[in-house]
Amino acid sequence: MNETVPSEPTDGTNATDPVLVAEAVRKSYGDVVALDGADLRVDTGEVFGLIGPNGAGKTTLVRALTGTTEVEGGVHVLGVPPREVDPQRVGLLPQSFDPPARLTARELVDYYGGLYDSARDTEGVLRDVGMAADADAWYETLSGGQKRRTCVATAIVNDPDLLFLDEPTTGIDPAGRRSIHRLVERLAADGTTVLLTSHAMDEVERLADRVALLRDGDVVASGAPDDLIAAHGGRPRLSVTLADPAAGSVDAVAGALEAGTTDPDGSTNVGTRVDVEPTENGLRVLGVRPEGIGAVVDALADAGVAFESLSWSEPTLEDVYLELTGEEYSPRGDGGLVTDSSGNGTQPADASTVAEVGDVADGGDVVDGGDVVDGGDA
Amino acid sequence: MSRLGRIGTEATAATRSFLRRRTAVFFTFFFPVILVVIFGALIRTQPTGGGLFAEPAGYYIPGYLAVVVLFTPLSRVGSEIARHRDGGRFEKLATTPLSRVEWLVAHTLVNVAIIGAASLLILGLVIAVTDAELVVSASLLALPVFVAVAVALFCGFGAILGALADSQDGVIAASNTVALPLLFLSETFVPPALLPDWFLPAVAASPLTYFARGTRAILYEPATWATELAILSVLAVGFLALGAYAVPRTD
Repeated sequence: MNETVPSEPTDGTNATDPVLVAEAVRKSYGDVVALDGADLRVDTGEVFGLIGPNGAGKTTLVRALTGTTEVEGGVHVLGVPPREVDPQRVGLLPQSFDPPARLTARELVDYYGGLYDSARDTEGVLRDVGMAADADAWYETLSGGQKRRTCVATAIVNDPDLLFLDEPTTGIDPAGRRSIHRLVERLAADGTTVLLTSHAMDEVERLADRVALLRDGDVVASGAPDDLIAAHGGRPRLSVTLADPAAGSVDAVAGALEAGTTDPDGSTNVGTRVDVEPTENGLRVLGVRPEGIGAVVDALADAGVAFESLSWSEPTLEDVYLELTGEEYSPRGDGGLVTDSSGNGTQPADASTVAEVGDVADGGDVVDGGDVVDGGDA
Repeated sequence: MSRLGRIGTEATAATRSFLRRRTAVFFTFFFPVILVVIFGALIRTQPTGGGLFAEPAGYYIPGYLAVVVLFTPLSRVGSEIARHRDGGRFEKLATTPLSRVEWLVAHTLVNVAIIGAASLLILGLVIAVTDAELVVSASLLALPVFVAVAVALFCGFGAILGALADSQDGVIAASNTVALPLLFLSETFVPPALLPDWFLPAVAASPLTYFARGTRAILYEPATWATELAILSVLAVGFLALGAYAVPRTD
């Protein structure tokens, strides 16, 4: 793809028009509602990530955008209804795609390329997906990852302006995933608009300029990954593995933090709080900045609690996903949506609720919300 | 890529896929062979009257040909559609320039080639293992046309079955249910004289009847066959059109 140059639209659209528009899209299969008024807008040259739980409607939305399913509502692709799009400009990797099993990878790329008015050089496409060395093996004899990479090759063989990749890295090993990631980055750099669905949040966070999260057939949040993380990802957390995770450790450490002289959230904002909660192997301190880790270590020492290891992490897109889908509770104490202990539905969380639900999720003992420490007062 | 180029690409891929499925290739040709051996060589005919096969051996040649002309396209195209649907291939093809008509034409061409070869095998076997005598005339040139047109007709029919059935198993069951009565009630193996009068309109309604009459007029009892070919052609166009329309594009 090094030589590829984004082609100018020939259908009357211009570069500033959105490439994909979905407005109030609805689709039902009998009583099952797959899409319930989903809205979407993807601009030229964007890598757009579509995430959501199984059954959220991601694949149905991709099908709506590619014109392979009938939906209610407005759908425009490259300025026209999906079925009026010049197929030369669109590439698709369906989620469940099983091409002819007894063609080789090279023959499959040749085959799909042969259906277009113009196609890229087969060898170049095979190199792009890392399949050049195994191009003469029948598809059915390839590993799962090789199969998926071959399928990706069939989606880019026509050098599309708009590429739909429905879970492109499913079943691919880390090295194969990286080759697909690099490919998507190269395509994006060359001006290809990419709509990507995936369950791998790190993948979407790395590749996507913007992300939409689907739940129950509707887009519940969209934006740049960093913006979504800032809005819904919660706070940084320090996980502490204790030498002896005995009852009372949380209270002791929380007390020590409250009595300490260093602000453990690493900021000078009086009133910024950190929360302490138990985990299976110890405890977790929420809201800790890297520069505040020392304060936590001091508090552990002051409380007489020995620890084996510390692990600090920032919130990620996965936290956003868990927060907004309610699939699994990830306690933050910041008033987001959390799953109730029965796993049915969501509810606003306050600090004490967070502690209770979080403990259930972690399989630990339910405790009161008395572990909240006001770091600003420490 | 031109329309012909796309059809050629699809047909090439389909041919490769078929030829690499050895069991499919073997049984595609073995099925008519075993039929000719059983009915033509073991059971044989009894021209003096009585028995299952009371007509001279040459009478049944259209029947042997009908076996491959009918069964193979019905099951192959129907199964191919089920396979494509299950594997998300139609979803993929719907975003390429290949149209549904082109897809069906490509697969029809592959079937014409396969069944043409099987038909030659049948004719050779019939001559070798039975005492049938073929009429050799210029009309023999029309035989490949009859085979090709009939194959196209049943490819269209197979596409309809493939679209209606929800699985490969369903396609096979449906094609057998359709093919078996057609095979025996279309003036192939059972002469109309053995059937009740009230059933004869049903025989006339079977597309395979016109294939049997036409090929019999070419190979066994010289007669005009243009009307049969015309009827068969019109039906083939109709079934191909319906079949192309039935080829799935959406879920």
